[in-house]
Amino acid sequence: MTSQTAKDDGNPAPLGALLAGEPEAVARDLGRPALGTLGRHSTVIVIGAGLFGASIGLWRDPVQALYTAVKLPLILLLCATGNALLNGIIGAMLGLKLTFRQSFLAILMSFSIASTILGSVSPLLFFYVWNMTPFDPAHRTAEGYSGLMVLAVAAIAFAGIASNIRLVGWLDRANASRVLSLRVLFCWLAGNLVLGSQLSWILRPFFGSPNLDVQFVRADAFQGNFFQALWIAVRTVVDR
Amino acid sequence: MNTSDPAPPGTTQPPPLTQPVPEPLAGPFSILEALLREPNRVWHAFRGDEAGRVIAVLIFATAVCAALYGVVIGSFSKGPQLWAAPVKVTLGLFFSVIICLPSLYIFASLGGARTRLVEVIGLTAGLITQNTLLLVGFAPVAWIFSESTDSIAWMGAMHLAFWFVSCAFGFRLFLAGFEHLNARHLGGIRVWLAMFIVVVLQMSTALRPLIGTSEDFLPKEKRFFLKHWFHQMDEGK
Repeated sequence: MTSQTAKDDGNPAPLGALLAGEPEAVARDLGRPALGTLGRHSTVIVIGAGLFGASIGLWRDPVQALYTAVKLPLILLLCATGNALLNGIIGAMLGLKLTFRQSFLAILMSFSIASTILGSVSPLLFFYVWNMTPFDPAHRTAEGYSGLMVLAVAAIAFAGIASNIRLVGWLDRANASRVLSLRVLFCWLAGNLVLGSQLSWILRPFFGSPNLDVQFVRADAFQGNFFQALWIAVRTVVDR
Repeated sequence: MNTSDPAPPGTTQPPPLTQPVPEPLAGPFSILEALLREPNRVWHAFRGDEAGRVIAVLIFATAVCAALYGVVIGSFSKGPQLWAAPVKVTLGLFFSVIICLPSLYIFASLGGARTRLVEVIGLTAGLITQNTLLLVGFAPVAWIFSESTDSIAWMGAMHLAFWFVSCAFGFRLFLAGFEHLNARHLGGIRVWLAMFIVVVLQMSTALRPLIGTSEDFLPKEKRFFLKHWFHQMDEGK
């Protein structure tokens, strides 16, 4: 990608071209001044993931919607920033022909694509929430809560898969080797999974549990970790 | 001098165009006719200066056709349903399209279609126009059944069957439109179409009653469409 000649007229590539995975568009954005690309894709993440967050938090309470709208983009931005150095180093070690800055921007752009997809389906989730039986504070129950979780997880999975397919396409273009691209992608995903899941653990709740009060972070946010909780959950299922 | 006049004999002819440019769409009826017979002319219009006018005609035609079919739906219960059903059908259809449009644009882009938002709006307008035009075609049949049947569940099933048939035709046109826009993969568009069906079905439940009667314009109880259908069937109406 670094050697690629892109038609750069100084303007950022259209988002539609990035979504379509057009290599010229990616090369153009990676070739632009870092701050411009950073600002643009961060804005897309804040709006797209923010809208999605608001739609999943809204069933519980408007305040929960606001909290989740802030927390979801925050996780994506913190994850990309926190792992920037690690991802750059891994990429360089594996022979990726992208600079540290370009590696960071490529990951940010894939998060931006995921956020665009999530933002685009948020009206549908808002519609789903509108059709849910409203949350009953007295009995702390809400019909459709599980359905909302399944829909949100499906949307996140789809957005994640689509954005990573685009990311691996860009890496292919930069390396001309599918094996190397997949190796780099696997390492990046592993790093982002570890950091992202722990950030999600700290910043929970997102949906807002029917049994707990609305809060920005839980009182025990920094106690335990995601994988510990996952292990306990697995043990509970196995021991039954 | 009109540049489209045939050149006099002996002068150099311009090279022929690789694809003949379709004739511009004149009046509203020619737009609707083209949508049914030569949809490529309509897709082509979305890329030109007349896109706004063509889309406006399609939206107006959809509103009229949806309202007409709504009257037929309301004719089952008569009374206030004669105005309530058309209002709900028309507004519900447009609201469904509005909340589904952002995801359509993104799914189309993911499929590789190099398209502008106006073209996506145009294709969707074409989809619902063809859909509602076909429903108007079914309207006399539906009206006959409205007058001779007293089962809400049966009437609901019949309206749904008509809608699914018109969807089948509309979706074929819609996918052809995206192929026209050079979409490489239509999988995402097909997923979107499934989502659109679910949204419209849920909208019909959220805006109930469309066929039966109620003291309230909108229901007080939230319900999912499958649950509502089973409820109606259990009541045996």
